[in-house]
Amino acid sequence: MRDAVVIGAGLAGLTAALRLARAGRSVTLVTKGPGGCQLSQGTVDILGYTPDRVTRPLEAVAAVDQSHPYSGIGADRVAESVSWLRDELGPELLVGDPAGNFHLPTAVGALRPTALAQPGMVAGDAVGGRTYAVVGVRQLKDFPADLVAGNLARSKAPDGGSLGATVAWVDLPARRGEADPTSLTYARAMDDEAFAAKFARAVAAVAGEGDVVALPAVLGVRRLGVWRQVRDVLGREVCEIPLPPPSVPGLRLYEALLGMVRAAGVRFIQGNRIVGFTPGDGGIESVTLAAAGGARHLKAASFIFAPGGFESGALDVDSHGRISEPVFGLPLTADDAAPLIPSVFWGPHELFEVGVRTDDAGRPVDGSGAAVHDNLFVAGGIIAGAERWREKSGDGVAVATAYRAADQITGGAR
Amino acid sequence: MSKRQDERAKELRERLNNELQRMSLDMCVKCTICETSCPVAPVTPLFSGPKFVGPQAERFRDGESVDHSVDYCSSCGTCSVVCPQGVHVAELNSLARAVMKAEQGVPVRDQLITQTVLMGKAMTPVAPIANAVLDNKLARIAMEKIVGVHRDAPMPTARTQSLHSWLKKRPARTKPATRGSVVYFHGCAGGYFEVDAAKKAIEVLEHIGYDVIVPEQGCCGLAEQSNGLFEKASASVRKLDEQLRSAGTDLPIVSTAGSCTGMLKHEAHEILGIHDPELLDVGTRIREISEFLMELYEADELPTDFRPINMRLPYHAPCQVKSQGMGTPAYDLLRLIPGLEVIDSNVTCCGIAGTYGLKKEKYEIAQAVGKPLFDMIKDTNEGLAACDTETCRWQIEKSSGVTTVHPIVLIHQAYGLGDGE
Repeated sequence: MRDAVVIGAGLAGLTAALRLARAGRSVTLVTKGPGGCQLSQGTVDILGYTPDRVTRPLEAVAAVDQSHPYSGIGADRVAESVSWLRDELGPELLVGDPAGNFHLPTAVGALRPTALAQPGMVAGDAVGGRTYAVVGVRQLKDFPADLVAGNLARSKAPDGGSLGATVAWVDLPARRGEADPTSLTYARAMDDEAFAAKFARAVAAVAGEGDVVALPAVLGVRRLGVWRQVRDVLGREVCEIPLPPPSVPGLRLYEALLGMVRAAGVRFIQGNRIVGFTPGDGGIESVTLAAAGGARHLKAASFIFAPGGFESGALDVDSHGRISEPVFGLPLTADDAAPLIPSVFWGPHELFEVGVRTDDAGRPVDGSGAAVHDNLFVAGGIIAGAERWREKSGDGVAVATAYRAADQITGGAR
Repeated sequence: MSKRQDERAKELRERLNNELQRMSLDMCVKCTICETSCPVAPVTPLFSGPKFVGPQAERFRDGESVDHSVDYCSSCGTCSVVCPQGVHVAELNSLARAVMKAEQGVPVRDQLITQTVLMGKAMTPVAPIANAVLDNKLARIAMEKIVGVHRDAPMPTARTQSLHSWLKKRPARTKPATRGSVVYFHGCAGGYFEVDAAKKAIEVLEHIGYDVIVPEQGCCGLAEQSNGLFEKASASVRKLDEQLRSAGTDLPIVSTAGSCTGMLKHEAHEILGIHDPELLDVGTRIREISEFLMELYEADELPTDFRPINMRLPYHAPCQVKSQGMGTPAYDLLRLIPGLEVIDSNVTCCGIAGTYGLKKEKYEIAQAVGKPLFDMIKDTNEGLAACDTETCRWQIEKSSGVTTVHPIVLIHQAYGLGDGE
């Protein structure tokens, strides 16, 4: 029997599995899809808006109200968990300090606060007086360089200083005969050193004035450090700007984390959902995997449930507006979606705060505050209390709650 | 188009529209995860990716024939495995291809290369001659020109003795069975081409205490299915169900044919649309052999008194094993052998995908798909690699030059069961 089964391979599930494996535990990681990393920016947000823009995320974490997923964890523990993940991944993938946010340009030229970023992105940090030479690629429809430069040029840096931007375009197909490559196709071409060199020369020929050359985040997916190669050809700093999915920086994180998890001896089962469980003496005895050819029962001493929220189908809303968690039937903070859906799209969406409440150990609790199962822990997007995409806290909540759950299982908690 | 073809196409389109499309098309949120995991799209712009030809193109196939690029899908099934929303991407595309083939006809080549049992039966009695012909460059060039099988595509090596003739001549076992009986499913390759692995699987199962029943058995029809020959495939799999059930209807069925196991577990049901109780019965009782042994291990019932094998072993988990949603049990099992450093390829597919990589117009694509795997195996091997499915092993051996065996061969060695010859 395994020490633990972790359900879900997003940032929370991968963090939990890695943390458990590092502590010498036998782990099975089971997931339907590859999690949300490749739909993300490939950075680690801790807290970006409260709703004002946050520059010191740990201070903001210390001030969240009691219903927030961070409240039972605390700023020190959030810093510890995020730093642990950064150090596991190493400086070729993540850099930064949980105490301070970068403000990085997005694919529409807005500024996005985030705590840890990839090394090829951080030269884009918006400090007063910085100027960007934005260079688009004609073949990549998801990087509207004119819009990026226009919006940056009319934005103020968080320190109040102004920003400048110029725009230019290169025309360089990643492979012959293809009109509309995805960003990933382009990034795969960059894994080839010769193509990256050709790309860098094309950019050098057109890039306008600016301290930092801002490029779509397609600088290699398997080969890390392509940004350095391009920077050296340009003789200027570069910054990668993440695009809509497929997210190349997100894939870099996912592949690195999954590789570490598997190398650490974790069994990895992908492709089918966990659909139920069997109760036992001390809580849950096994979870039920709907594999090809029928149900398989995965037994373990402990379970970490990190399936995401509404976006992954882990929380369900039926046609009558009833909200449920279909696998364990966990108690939720609300069961009727109708009053939670605002008439204004831009307004706060309370529905996205719905989820599971936990005790300080990370176990789901019922209305009276008692743990539902002694050996079931939750992590990431299933936890109630935050509209993550609005306040930019999803990654930090995922990492901190996964770390808490893993340490609770290994006895490594405070 | 003949009337018969027309009817068949209509019938398949009906299934595409009603069984698969309605059920799963609207679940696609266009997240692109399947696009990032497809092994074919990265190496050729001829295949525009599973989302484009699947959930996206499907909406435009209103009575019109399907997009030809769907034929560049290799049927590896990875898109369905990774889809977080449960869209049956691979199944949609397989059915769309079958509609296209039904409307336009199937090349003779695609009908020939699916006849695996026939090949085995024909080649075994004349193995040296058959092997010489397949090794002959001129013969292979002629085969490419006439039939369309690429001259460099991997071909199986015929054996002089089939598994069943070995079984007949074999002395009765002396060690009594302590765990009851299992039915062994060896697949076409195990019966005729990879006889050694099949023998060793039987010996391992007997060693750990099972009585092994090996019924006469034919082909599962997977190759016919992936070439769009649904009627033939359905007949093959139904016949096989009957044969496997003839040995007893409550016994576990254990298989060394990784992709054929997937055919019985889910593909025949989901792609061919067979809902017979006989198929569901076989599909729920069958276990791929490493899966079977790992289930014993997780229940603390597998003897793990393995002798050390001190070597580094590159291992590749085939796409059609991963698509069964059971993880990579052979990788987990092999790591229980002391001294054996197992390196997972982490590559999606070797490129061959059954018969895809044999075809002259797809050979180069299949080689490009498998290149990272061949490189990884060349870089890490110490004389041997392992992989669970036959055609993948032939592809790996041919393209990397490294002898590639079924994982059970190493388990057999680690149990100290000799060379099995």
